[in-house]
Amino acid sequence: MAETYQEGSGSGADFDLSQFYQIFFEEAGENLDQMEQMLLNLDLASANDEELNGIFRCAHSIKGGSATFGFADVAELTHQMESLLDRLRRHELQPIPQMVDVLLESADASRSLLARHQAGEQGEAISTTDLVLRISELVAGRVPGGAAPAPLAQAPAPVVAAAAPAPAFAPALTVSAGQPRQLQIQIGPLERPEQADAIKELFRDIPGLGSISDLPTSDPATRRFAVETTSTNDDLLDLFAFHVAKEQVSISDGLTAGVSLSAAAPQAGQGGDAAGLSYGFFHDAPGAPGAPGAPTEAAAVPVAAVSAAAGAKAPVPKAAAEPRAQSPAQMESTTIRVAVNKVDQLINLVGELVITQAMLAQNSRGLDAGAYQQLLAGLADLDRNTRDLQESVMSIRMIPMSIVFSRFPRMLRDLANKLGKKVDFVTLGEATELDKGLVEKITDPLTHLVRNSCDHGIEMPAERLAKGKPEHGTITLSASHQGGSIVIEVRDDGKGLSREKILRKALERGLDVSEHMSDADVWQLIFAPGFSTAEVVTDVSGRGVGLDVVKRNIAALNGSVEIDSAEGYGMRVSVRLPLTLAIMDGMSVGVGDEVYILPLSSVVESFQVNAEDVSTVAQGSQLVKVRDEYMPVIALEKIFQVPRLDPSKSSSIMVVVEADGSRVALLVDELLGQHQVVVKNLESNYRKVPNVSGATILGDGTVALILDTGGLVRRARH
Amino acid sequence: MSVMKKAEEITASGAREYLTFRLDQEEYGIDILKVQEIRGYEPPTRIANAPEFIKGVVNLRGTIVPIVDMRIRFNCAQADYNTFTVVIILNLHQRVVGIVVDSVSDVMELASGSVRAAPDIESAIDNSCIIGLGSVGERMLILLDIEKLMSSVEMGLVAVDE
Repeated sequence: MAETYQEGSGSGADFDLSQFYQIFFEEAGENLDQMEQMLLNLDLASANDEELNGIFRCAHSIKGGSATFGFADVAELTHQMESLLDRLRRHELQPIPQMVDVLLESADASRSLLARHQAGEQGEAISTTDLVLRISELVAGRVPGGAAPAPLAQAPAPVVAAAAPAPAFAPALTVSAGQPRQLQIQIGPLERPEQADAIKELFRDIPGLGSISDLPTSDPATRRFAVETTSTNDDLLDLFAFHVAKEQVSISDGLTAGVSLSAAAPQAGQGGDAAGLSYGFFHDAPGAPGAPGAPTEAAAVPVAAVSAAAGAKAPVPKAAAEPRAQSPAQMESTTIRVAVNKVDQLINLVGELVITQAMLAQNSRGLDAGAYQQLLAGLADLDRNTRDLQESVMSIRMIPMSIVFSRFPRMLRDLANKLGKKVDFVTLGEATELDKGLVEKITDPLTHLVRNSCDHGIEMPAERLAKGKPEHGTITLSASHQGGSIVIEVRDDGKGLSREKILRKALERGLDVSEHMSDADVWQLIFAPGFSTAEVVTDVSGRGVGLDVVKRNIAALNGSVEIDSAEGYGMRVSVRLPLTLAIMDGMSVGVGDEVYILPLSSVVESFQVNAEDVSTVAQGSQLVKVRDEYMPVIALEKIFQVPRLDPSKSSSIMVVVEADGSRVALLVDELLGQHQVVVKNLESNYRKVPNVSGATILGDGTVALILDTGGLVRRARH
Repeated sequence: MSVMKKAEEITASGAREYLTFRLDQEEYGIDILKVQEIRGYEPPTRIANAPEFIKGVVNLRGTIVPIVDMRIRFNCAQADYNTFTVVIILNLHQRVVGIVVDSVSDVMELASGSVRAAPDIESAIDNSCIIGLGSVGERMLILLDIEKLMSSVEMGLVAVDE
């Protein structure tokens, strides 16, 4: 990204970049997510260098990208963030909560800015002036509205530590003498002097290269820098060659620089602030000559001693010296971004391969094992390989739940702050994998449940203490595999559901309830539309809008929701989902010569029907009595106009299905079995068919329609 | 669209290749570029409440493809299914559709000069779906705008916005 930026700053306007916009937005989004995550995980007391560097890299990438694409507002904001982060990672400032706050807010602001750019500059402009101001205050070491400024730089020692480790990192480059040299570098005259500025970035990006600062020049087309480095002139020239032609660089020994240094020496007393600024990218700071001033002390110290001293004083910089291969930035290169439709195509092809393989297996069954030994052995291999292939391909679509879970710490932090509650957030089973399509759809319902737990479940700290509970409430989000489904639980140790309160509210709202309902049935009441027991409606939740939506959304994914609660101890909401949308458990039923698939999740029971249990109501619709309940009967034969070739067969089996909370009995000829079916879309080549939710391909290669139980139930009720 | 204009369009685009097929005694031609493949007929899965000429859907290498019997659509006297019945798989606007015909004859190149505008005649389909009439020796080809025909409302292949 850094390279992109440098090239872009010189020649970005010359060609059309819009084709890369989408990639940039995606990348920036990921970087923001990553940064947010790292900020939240940041341990303020002992911030790890690798973490700080990681956060810095994210901000830096976004800055680079947005500047390349001409989103100046984002670039400006992220640049400010970068300055603050730069000082943090150099240990010139001690991280404080205010910084995390302001950085999180800036990340949000960048997100909105980017969203606005992505939408083609529509909507209201977003002002970042305030944020920029707050960051610059923090950069300057002042805490806005707060006490204790915490720049470490006041003490001279850390400055030495920050500058001195340079030789320790240097193995990346050839070290000449091992001792830092003072050089003066003149570049130019250049057509675009900005190119030279890229060189300053080199010094910042390559650990151990040394330090650089601006020197005044008389000619605007040239640039002069004072450099302190351990690298040889040749190495430097090679490096600079990325940005400017070798012929335009002249390196002279630091004598003259030394003169200018001694002239600037009184300024060195200003301390680390100035030194820190000189590292900054855009800071052509007046105090810059002070930077080499401090390291002069270090230069006199033997290398070994310096690195040992650095190790003792600040063990953290050593961590940064470890090979970059272990950093998250390098991890990314082991993944590739692929369009979803390519993966889907692959899955389709493999599905087809499986069917072909099944057909071959079937056809070869009658063959003589002696005569066709090789063929049969080959088919057995094919069988195993297709199975493995199918499994691997299906796993491409699966992504870990951590993608969903990672949204919550931030949301809960803000929410808890707003509500004045103290909440610890625990996640379990982040590695549990789920189909990407499901992950996207489950995020909103889960968000709702977590907010609900925080708002309604967890009590105020004082109340918790009074009850003898720890001041911090805990919300646990866990995911696990159970059989063919994934179970996601949202658990809190808050006040739990109150049976009486819910029953009272339900009576007020005229719902059909009784004192003798089971707990589970009572808890289900909170999913009724418009139901809320919250005494105060907040802007977070309590309006009773939502839980019914949550339940409906989850039901739409063939999932279910269960609640478990004990008053005073908390509650648990379990969401059970199929592993993938593309595959579902189906029950195949036969009607006439046709086969239909019912989603197994909606099947309640099936039974042989007796003629006397079926009664007809005046309009001609039938009802069946199941135990003490009457439910409407839908004859599949009728609604699908199944031709009857064999009049001796008739429908005598009822399958009770449940959808949207009500049940109907489907009349079918026979039950054929249960199996996993791959759900295919009918609408991609045809159109929506009433009462049918999709199609699937059976083992023999023919197509069977999957029934839309929700539609059938609705049909029966009208 | 006027008859003249239709003829002009053909003239402008020069010679084209057509896949010809038979429905009963009539011979039709469709743009070869719309044809994905030709397959034998296999019984599709019936879809309830669909028009009679939509035979159902089949599995084409994992894709669910609707099958339209052109013989029923064009009111042919007979629509038998035997080993010679073929299905032409068409690829139209990202949609895949199969049409059942009696037989596929060949691929012909028709110069623009040998295509004449179709007279306004009474037929089973909308006249605007007929590009024109092509003559090859003694034979007469009815050139169909298959894309337009398949996406027309009365084909029932696409959902009608209510």
